[in-house]
Amino acid sequence: MSGSDTAIVVENLSIGYGDRVVQQDLSFEVRRGEVFVILGGSGCGKSSLLKVMIGLVAPLRGRVLYDGVDLVGAEGPERLSLLRKFGVMYQSGALFGSMTLLENVRLPLDEFTRLQRAERQLVALAKLNQVGLLDAAARMPSELSGGMQKRAGIARAMALDPGILFLDEPSAGLDPITSAGLDRLIRELSESFGITLVVVTHELQSIFAIADRCLMLDARRKTMIAEGKPAELRDESPDPVVRQFFRRQAEPEKERQTG
Amino acid sequence: MALREGAGGAVLTLSGALDVRSAAAARDAIVAELAQHTLTRVEVDASGIERGDASGMSILYQLAQGQLAPGLEAQLHGLRPELEKLLAAFPAPEAVKGVEVRPERRSIPVEVGGATLGLWNDAVESIRFLGALTLALASILSHPRKLRASELARVFEKSGANALLIVSLISLLTGLIIAFEAAQPLKTFGAQIFIANMIGLVMVRELGPIMTAIVFAGRSGSAFAAELGTMKVNEELAALRTMGLDPTRFLVIQRVLAGSVAMPLLTAYSMAMGILGGVIVTRMMGFPLALIWQQLAAALGAKDILFGLAKAVVFGAVVAGLGCYQGVNTRQGPSAVGDSATRAVVASILMIILIDAVFSVFAYVLGI
Repeated sequence: MSGSDTAIVVENLSIGYGDRVVQQDLSFEVRRGEVFVILGGSGCGKSSLLKVMIGLVAPLRGRVLYDGVDLVGAEGPERLSLLRKFGVMYQSGALFGSMTLLENVRLPLDEFTRLQRAERQLVALAKLNQVGLLDAAARMPSELSGGMQKRAGIARAMALDPGILFLDEPSAGLDPITSAGLDRLIRELSESFGITLVVVTHELQSIFAIADRCLMLDARRKTMIAEGKPAELRDESPDPVVRQFFRRQAEPEKERQTG
Repeated sequence: MALREGAGGAVLTLSGALDVRSAAAARDAIVAELAQHTLTRVEVDASGIERGDASGMSILYQLAQGQLAPGLEAQLHGLRPELEKLLAAFPAPEAVKGVEVRPERRSIPVEVGGATLGLWNDAVESIRFLGALTLALASILSHPRKLRASELARVFEKSGANALLIVSLISLLTGLIIAFEAAQPLKTFGAQIFIANMIGLVMVRELGPIMTAIVFAGRSGSAFAAELGTMKVNEELAALRTMGLDPTRFLVIQRVLAGSVAMPLLTAYSMAMGILGGVIVTRMMGFPLALIWQQLAAALGAKDILFGLAKAVVFGAVVAGLGCYQGVNTRQGPSAVGDSATRAVVASILMIILIDAVFSVFAYVLGI
């Protein structure tokens, strides 16, 4: 199904490196305008799935469809046009250290639009304003805190108004207040601007604060074990691993000893 | 897009998509249309804009601010609520003017003063580093088990054994090139056999040590700077310090020792390869091997070989030390590790030439 209410369709995806399979048989959809969270324990393959979904790594098998077009194997202009449909904020922000924030956000506009310089400048400032960093526009990334760098990373990812944003571990390494501020920004981007957000995280508080729906991966079974609203998964999931994750319970003592 | 003038004033009607693809063309069309009329005020009917994004809204923002037609006051209405939100994200005009303020250019005296202080600080840091290195060496001599022999062996293999191929190639070719270049002028005087003497002296006393040192600076000095620089950026050096371990004793001394041992060995090999290049050319000119060997033995003494090897020991220690010094003093920023590697190579080459000059003067004075 690739109707207008579906932003991304993932079909029978298997991911891994060489002979090692990390996740397999992944099939799910991301609806337009929702905040979709990919979660799971450390090392379960969340970030690997993200890398496959944004075309950085080829899957072992399967398809990733944007508006019905498969990103896997797409080349040349077709791939470029698919890449324009989404923006990515990396875990560290991945800002270019030799450029100011304004120049960082303006870079995609400089490279991919025919707008005049003043207009590109305006759009970049608007994006920085959206993430609350207008006053820091002339500062270098090294002068910013981790939370500000991530906000600036979001602004740069949004520069070309891609419609879909991928955020890799937005709360990692942030204090609770900064993390909550980032959660609020994510909800605002979704509700006010209709952006579809795919967020990789394992921070429970963030998941409950931002997620419309979520997908849970499991490292042992090497596949998805749950999909749905976080509160429903916490209260109603028949799978003990899912309930354990959402209730933040430690692994049972005997399993830890044998595992 | 259409502009009509009526009794109630001029109305500019916009319709369709106003996004990143169409924004530039829309701006050109609006500017061209407004230029055909003399207007001071215009109503902008944006209700026909079906979809848009921030790039498209930048055109409306400029229109509303009177930036597309001088002196024109534009009233915008009918914009869809989601696009209103995008437009509202644009900052006030005074905020736009305030950004992109680069640091002011400093005056020449301030620049010169800053550079002088920088040199002074560098000198102080170098002395401190040399002191730390000496202390670490003393500590190793009194407690040899602290040397971390496996790290020393790893560095020695990477910077010494793995450099054999490149040193072979460069030295052999240099020997060949010099012999060929000298053959023609010496032929004029019937003195081609002296190519063997010349190659022997040049390779053993000068080119062997210098070329090996330059290869060592390019391969290993830069690698030491980059390796330690990356460790500093990743806070691995800080981790060592907080564990009570001195990075100089833990990481630097092994590299300096490996350099001091690997360099004379590589240099001896380079001397042999360079001479081999010269011998090949001399043989091609028809001189018998016995005669070539006789000439070499007459030209070269043990003191020449020891002189070249002594230089190599100093070059090895200095190049490795400079690489490590630049590495542990790496600053912050994305280009910092690259800058450290560059500085290590440039400083090493400069020091190689300076030390070589000092050796030459001493050799002349002492008659070596």
